[in-house]
Amino acid sequence: MGASTVSLRSRYWNKEAQLAYLLMLPAVVLLLSLMVYPIAYVFMMSLYRTDRLGRLQEFAGMAAYLEVFSTRVFWETTVRTAVWTVLAVVVKAVLGMIIALVLNVEYTGRRTARMLFIIPWASSVPISAMLWKWVYDHEFGLLNQTLRATGIWTNPPVWLGAPTSAFISTIWVDIWVGVPFMALIFLAGMQAISRDLYESGDIDGANATQKFVHITIPGIRHLILIATMLSSLWTFNDFNTVFILTKGGPGTSTEILITAVYKHGFEWLRFSRAAVMAVVTFVILTMLSLIYARMFFRQERDL
Amino acid sequence: MSNWRTRNRPLVILLTLLLLGLMLFPFFVMVSTMLKSSQEIYVVPATWIPRNLTFANFTRVWIEYHLLLYFRSSLIVALGTMALNILVSVPAAYAVARLRFLGRKAVMYLLLAIQMFSPVIVVISLFRIFARAQLIDTYTGLILANTVFTISFATWMMTGYFSAIPSEIEEAARIDGCSRVGTLLRVMLPIAAPGLVTVMIYNFITAWNEFLFALTFINARAKMPLTLGIYQFVGRWSTQWELLTTSAFLALIPVLVLFYLIEKQLVAGLASGAVKG
Repeated sequence: MGASTVSLRSRYWNKEAQLAYLLMLPAVVLLLSLMVYPIAYVFMMSLYRTDRLGRLQEFAGMAAYLEVFSTRVFWETTVRTAVWTVLAVVVKAVLGMIIALVLNVEYTGRRTARMLFIIPWASSVPISAMLWKWVYDHEFGLLNQTLRATGIWTNPPVWLGAPTSAFISTIWVDIWVGVPFMALIFLAGMQAISRDLYESGDIDGANATQKFVHITIPGIRHLILIATMLSSLWTFNDFNTVFILTKGGPGTSTEILITAVYKHGFEWLRFSRAAVMAVVTFVILTMLSLIYARMFFRQERDL
Repeated sequence: MSNWRTRNRPLVILLTLLLLGLMLFPFFVMVSTMLKSSQEIYVVPATWIPRNLTFANFTRVWIEYHLLLYFRSSLIVALGTMALNILVSVPAAYAVARLRFLGRKAVMYLLLAIQMFSPVIVVISLFRIFARAQLIDTYTGLILANTVFTISFATWMMTGYFSAIPSEIEEAARIDGCSRVGTLLRVMLPIAAPGLVTVMIYNFITAWNEFLFALTFINARAKMPLTLGIYQFVGRWSTQWELLTTSAFLALIPVLVLFYLIEKQLVAGLASGAVKG
């Protein structure tokens, strides 16, 4: 090797590379035809007028973009999506951390507790959302009944019926689904931290909080980053919870981008507008994904 | 921290129980509701423990509401997704893990990136594409859509498992005259079997829980998977909650069992960038 006659061609188009491309071909074909092509098609839809079945009519340039960007609702939805994502992820991380700390204490029944904590994550999100819809029921739901009976809240709200309470109820379900994942990742990280570190902390006379801040947190910093990033993407994409609980209502008080895309398309049959919002969503997700991928690979290099 | 721990153990246990109550609340409600009669669910104040325990809802969902059909659809779609996914992901993962070719790094980047794409982005155009290809109301359509959205994670996980196998093992097999594909099938796959099972179960669960594609592509009741089928109990004016919770309970059992089998590997896989080494 090394001779200039060994061209790039033979370096990269040898038997090994050919086999590699052949093995990847089925996956690539599927991804191209059912992921890349549909995304390209969505871009087209956003630039064309579409009929009620989503078929392309005539080229309209940026018309649909201008239409969407000129509505207040779109901007409100975008801001709400950001609030939704950040708020949910922060609460998930905090609650996840508390659960991880609790599970990191040794007592009998800890394994059972761990198993039980996982259930919301293990369960199917659409089905959980339907269960929550019943839990939140104003008159017959057991949440309000429990609040009333225990005297915690004698006059509980119509959870899904008013804008603010609907937003809180919906985001809580998303949080509830995402907490166990955070807890498990944090717990795995905590259990990988060497006990010696804590012992030398004890010798230096550090209290529990100091040890948490100076040993535990730095020890699982990477994991916190990864888990937060993954969770942000999932939260941003949580169509099922919102759609099943409120469909974005009442009004647009729980609408996030991803449900707006669906409703503009399949409920109001305004496919161009849906496509514009899908493109916006795509751009946001791509940026988040690239940050995530870079973070991921940087860590691989570090190790 | 250990002194702190022993001193506060009762407190920790109390906190655990409180948190568990919070996290499991909807499932208590589910079990309570599914054992009530259709009259009792509309009683004020709502009862935690049914006054008249009844299992009538179980027979009703099977006999009157065709739950079996939904189960069948879910099973077909989940098994189909699992099979198709493995067929395309395993060879791709082997290539990424073991072969040198131009663009390997780009492929890995791409796999991570597309894992994050929301199905909602493509569903509006996929609907057109499926309509033209006559894949609306077919299992094939659902299987294809579910497979595409599980390829990246499956390939990513399998790449990890293949990379962990020492290359000496593979080289030994190659010296004995095994072809590349032969080593993949006869040496690599058996060693990576636990990983393969994890990925298969993950695919199964994902397809079993899927809702958006079913909602968009399936109109015929006989073709509805469980998630969409159960959603049919939600009416515009009233919902048959006792039947919904009963069906939910039955639909959740298989996924919960499967999830516990792979939970450890799944967590490790999702965090692999940070836990590895």
